[in-house]
Amino acid sequence: MSALRVNPYVLSDLLADLNNTQQQADTSSLQMATGSRINKPSDDPAGAAEMVGNNIETVRTDTFLRSITSVSGLLQTADSTLSSVVTALQRAISLGVEGANGTLSDSDRNDVANELTGIQQQILSLANTDYQGEFIFAGTATVQPFVTDAASPSGVTYDGNAGTNDVQIGQSYSLQVNLPGSQLFTDPQGHVFQSIADLISALKSNTNIGEALDQISLAYNYITGQRVFYGNALNQLQAQQNFLNSDKLDLATAANSTSAADMAKAATDFSQAQIALNAELAGISRISQVSLFDYLK
Amino acid sequence: MSNLLSTMFIATGAMAADQGALEVTANNVANVNTPGYSREIPVLQEIAPVVLGNVTYGTGVTLAKIQSVRDPILQLRIQQESGEQGKLNAFVNALDQAQTLFKSGDGDLASEMSNLFSSVAQLSTNPADVSLRQAVLTAASSLTSAFNNLAKNLSTQRSNLNLNVAESVKEINTLTQQIAALNGKIGALQNVGQDASGFIDQRDNLVAQLSGLIDLSAIKSDSGIALTTSNGTALVTGMQSYNLSAQDDASGVQHVFTQQGADITSQINSGSLAGLIEARDQTIPGLLNQLDTLAAGLETAFNQANAAGFDLSGNVGGNLFTPPPASLTGAATDMAVAIADPSLIAASSDRSAGSNGNLANFSAIQDQPIISGATPGTYYANLVFDVGNDVSNNTAELQSSQLVLQQLQDQRGSISGVSLDEEAAHMVQFQRAYDAAAQVVVAVNQMLETVINMGTVAVSS
Repeated sequence: MSALRVNPYVLSDLLADLNNTQQQADTSSLQMATGSRINKPSDDPAGAAEMVGNNIETVRTDTFLRSITSVSGLLQTADSTLSSVVTALQRAISLGVEGANGTLSDSDRNDVANELTGIQQQILSLANTDYQGEFIFAGTATVQPFVTDAASPSGVTYDGNAGTNDVQIGQSYSLQVNLPGSQLFTDPQGHVFQSIADLISALKSNTNIGEALDQISLAYNYITGQRVFYGNALNQLQAQQNFLNSDKLDLATAANSTSAADMAKAATDFSQAQIALNAELAGISRISQVSLFDYLK
Repeated sequence: MSNLLSTMFIATGAMAADQGALEVTANNVANVNTPGYSREIPVLQEIAPVVLGNVTYGTGVTLAKIQSVRDPILQLRIQQESGEQGKLNAFVNALDQAQTLFKSGDGDLASEMSNLFSSVAQLSTNPADVSLRQAVLTAASSLTSAFNNLAKNLSTQRSNLNLNVAESVKEINTLTQQIAALNGKIGALQNVGQDASGFIDQRDNLVAQLSGLIDLSAIKSDSGIALTTSNGTALVTGMQSYNLSAQDDASGVQHVFTQQGADITSQINSGSLAGLIEARDQTIPGLLNQLDTLAAGLETAFNQANAAGFDLSGNVGGNLFTPPPASLTGAATDMAVAIADPSLIAASSDRSAGSNGNLANFSAIQDQPIISGATPGTYYANLVFDVGNDVSNNTAELQSSQLVLQQLQDQRGSISGVSLDEEAAHMVQFQRAYDAAAQVVVAVNQMLETVINMGTVAVSS
């Protein structure tokens, strides 16, 4: 009786072990099912907090990318509209050169002037272009920017404002997305409408045609210069889009290394737990069967 | 002088003792699965010998007493560890439910915040668009629902814990009453020199259950066991038990009172009651406070941003969210969007409908340290960390406490547990001894017959 007495109640220990093994099996099968090793904050508190930050950044990056898509539609529309304006001005210049030819009759010059009036109308309509229901050259106003006005020397008045909008396309990176119509079409350095109106009246009166041609060339050069703004903005959008896409990839990689379950390990853990579970069950079924009483027959 | 009859008495006495010993074995075997049962051993004792002339005769054996095998110190350790385990278990269970609310993914607070900022960014690409404005209001209202639900769920868990506190107090009272009654029975038996081990086992078992509920310190005295909480509140003295009571305070929180009316709610340090109270009075209210702070911070920041700009009609912006209460309490539960008309979002910085200049003030909120020195996202991430860390630390402690308790139970089992092998061996041993003693009776009987026949032979001859 001097030998150490052993706890005869092995069953409760075995059941506790069984419970632990069952839990291991559950954990690894949950990891395999969700593909994530963080299924509740306590699985890895620091990792869970990191994932909150990562999710926020990912949504933010997606948001910037979506803004870029929206804005580039607007910028492309503006750019191609200005391209049409430039083409129209080229036509106006060649018409002006034609009209300046001294051999032209009054009625011929009138025809040229009438054609220029058509171009004037075309540019007016281009200047009133809208994108998704909003006028793109009205500044920050939402009214039709250019309206015909017989009282005005240029034939139009600008009802928009000089406001501009910035759109955020990156963390602390905002891009100006519009130029107000007043800056593009009615700036003193190159007043598109005034120069056309002046050319028309010069042709009609056959005076100062050369001067009017100089003005319209100035307007042409000016608006070509302004158009660079949109080209630059589109380039910046493209560059930022590339950056954000690689940023997104980095975020996804970080998320993966923070929270993705090691599938191979989870699968191994699971099968090991299964084996242990079987062994424990077999042990339990045997152990409770035998005692000395069985041999006292 | 020795005679045959005294030999017969020794043998029959041995048979009685062995039978008694076998009865102990039978009782052990019968109680092999009884929780808290301590195995008993028969204490066999030599009867005082008689001296006749030069010879000392043994006079046989008697079953002196039946003794329970138990280690009171070990029992005490088990009680302490049960208290620790009860506390951790209750706490982990409570928080394990709470932490699922902070699981990251679609619909969690962080993604709802992100969605709101995302909708603002979308609006900035076309600030006059009514459907994009509506999207901002929808996102804002989803965010408020997320806050509302989270806070309500936490409050519900808190009131469930509150019910558990009241239930635990009832259980404690039942146990202390039973222990006091057992004290009486044990005392009565011991006063007349009887063995009370059956009742002692029952009492140990009840005390272990009780220590799983509330912190206990036990003092053994003549009148049985005296139980107090560690801060000295009497629960049982002798045959007297003292009921605790649970009563609502002004805000409906159940406090624990002694029979004398002292509030001991904050003085309970172990047992499941302590875990429940810690989760109910500290951890969950702490989480609710953090949510309130976050909700109020966001509401105030958005309202300030909206007031800095002009709405679609060119008027100065009003409140986007219902302003939080000054105390911040309930900010998360009652968070609500203040406007239903999307044109009231003050996107413009120059009064023109097409300006998005003021939306930058909204977007800036996500990068500003407006919530206790942290950005809203970081504040929430810290909250998730705190919840997770609380659960994981306490789970680790719970697991180690379980291991300790398991080892103590093993130790208790190795001392007090019934081993069927051992009992089988004892059974054989006592049975053989009984057989042997019976053989002695048979032998004496034959010898007596010889003696009696001696007389009849003489008469007949």
